[in-house]
Amino acid sequence: MSNRIYNILFHTHTISGIIISALLYIIFFTGSIAFLRDEISAWEHNKPIEENYFNTIDFDESLEKLEEGQNLYGRDITFSHRYFEREVNVSMTPSKDSTIIDQNRERLSNYFFMDMESFEKKDYQSNYSLGEFFYRLHFFAQLNFFGRSGYLLSGLVAFFFLFAIITGVLVHWKKIISSFYTFRPGAKWKTIWTDAHVALGMIGLPYQFIFAVTGCYLMIGYSVMLPPVEKYLFPDEPREVAKILNLEEKVDDLEFTYNPIKEDFSINYFAEKTLKKWPDLKLSELKIVNYGDEHMYVKLSGSPGYDESLLDQASQTYRIADGRLIAERSINEPTSYSRGTFNLLRRLHYGDYGGYGLKLIYLVLGFVTCFVILSGVYIWLVARNKKSVSKRKRKFNNWLVTIYTSVCLSLLPITAIIFIVMKVYGESYVAATGGLRKDLIYEVFFWGWLVLSVLFTIKHDNYFTNKFCLILGSFFGILVPITNGIMTGNWIWVSLSKGYTQIFVVDIFWVLLSITAFIAVLRIKKKRSLRPA
Amino acid sequence: MPANKKYFSSPWQRILKITAGFIGGYILTQSFFMFFIQIYKDAGSLITLQFAGFILWAALLVIAFLAKNGFKIWGLYLLLTAFFALLIYLIP
Repeated sequence: MSNRIYNILFHTHTISGIIISALLYIIFFTGSIAFLRDEISAWEHNKPIEENYFNTIDFDESLEKLEEGQNLYGRDITFSHRYFEREVNVSMTPSKDSTIIDQNRERLSNYFFMDMESFEKKDYQSNYSLGEFFYRLHFFAQLNFFGRSGYLLSGLVAFFFLFAIITGVLVHWKKIISSFYTFRPGAKWKTIWTDAHVALGMIGLPYQFIFAVTGCYLMIGYSVMLPPVEKYLFPDEPREVAKILNLEEKVDDLEFTYNPIKEDFSINYFAEKTLKKWPDLKLSELKIVNYGDEHMYVKLSGSPGYDESLLDQASQTYRIADGRLIAERSINEPTSYSRGTFNLLRRLHYGDYGGYGLKLIYLVLGFVTCFVILSGVYIWLVARNKKSVSKRKRKFNNWLVTIYTSVCLSLLPITAIIFIVMKVYGESYVAATGGLRKDLIYEVFFWGWLVLSVLFTIKHDNYFTNKFCLILGSFFGILVPITNGIMTGNWIWVSLSKGYTQIFVVDIFWVLLSITAFIAVLRIKKKRSLRPA
Repeated sequence: MPANKKYFSSPWQRILKITAGFIGGYILTQSFFMFFIQIYKDAGSLITLQFAGFILWAALLVIAFLAKNGFKIWGLYLLLTAFFALLIYLIP
């Protein structure tokens, strides 16, 4: 590679990296937490679920409960278990019988959660949890001020992250093997940051590339990539692209008839039938179409677990009136490219295909990426800290990095704090003020984060910020399982022996994180000031 | 250690290259994938654009920075776009 190309690529890597750095750090930090989204929800609401939970649901009773509130005739009703919580997602379409008109026409009135043990209905807001909060924060859903501006921002960050990965690899290409094995901890800060950045960046490279691409795909794959296609290739068919992309198999000749079904029916019967055929199937979705109509049918889908089938799901569709199997898809059938891609890109991003072992690896790599991002920022700082750079510029750089450091590192303690706050005050806040859980999370998390960031910025000492955040993080972190034990009696050993895996995982996560942070505190010594100016 | 500035281009050239990579690269990516979408008109070609499109776009962004002249890289991207547009036009 010529000197010219090297220097140009190096510069584009630096500039794209520094622009997205803080945002990318937030995405990776909160995204790593969000790997445990469902566990955190179960932990916060103290409602762990068993494996294969969806298989055990009494659908007939839940439908009876739903019928109390409204006329179900002619609707399509979907129960889906996207998140492993006791609350199952229920969505209903408006009735196809035009004489049935919904009184309550709010946007989310036909989309809610149902606790499948108590059959209690909950709307999205009251089911909100920390898991959902971190999950949504990691794609900046809270910044959707103008349309979907938050999603677009996170998608563009992912795109420039992809750009930074490519240029980073190209810059290091010639020395990629030797640099990987170089570590000079006793040397200057500049070389320490560089060595760490290169070695860890190299280890995390496949992981980071996966997340950059799948992140782009999930956030802006539709909104950025498809509008021109719709406009130029399908100008006269506005819904065509969405129709092509709808990968659900159609069932022919089962249109809504306006003739109510005469037979009595049981949905559980069909669930049992499917499970009898595939005993190791884990159901994850049940869709009833044309409820109560002559042409009512039910589709049951699931998979025996991602270790068996990563790319697709199995499903059976039954016509209710005569109980006949009208469509079937086994996981042994070959999967089409589009369905396989659709599912694989999601599996790769969610990291849910290999149990907790894989999630742990994903989590660690996520935090490693956070370190790669911050070390990159430090390289940028120390490389510009020399006499040839004007004093004003150096001062600016220094403050910028101080702000970045404060904002990024204070995420750890505020995350631990919000877990404790929600465990202690979550229920009573909703009961006492009638407010939403979300409001409490927003208030404590965002204000707390701002206050910590401002205080650390004023202190203007990155060494102090680092050490203090680790101390606060490990202190509050270890309090998380203790708080949970006091509030619910589910101490770590209790939840382990009772088999509350989800609660146990969250508690043990905090114990491990706190211990790691504490060891780090003991290991850091102030050899030289991290503050160059 | 910051990159050596003597290899950087003038601000005007830089704007040209950034726009060529970001906007021109996007247009070229679109036309390239639209060619396949026009042939197959299926979910597979659409979903490929949705994820692989970003990889191609990022690569074109990198290439734009390597060009010596911003006008030339704009010209090249537009020419290629026109080529794919012509192909799309020819496919029924």
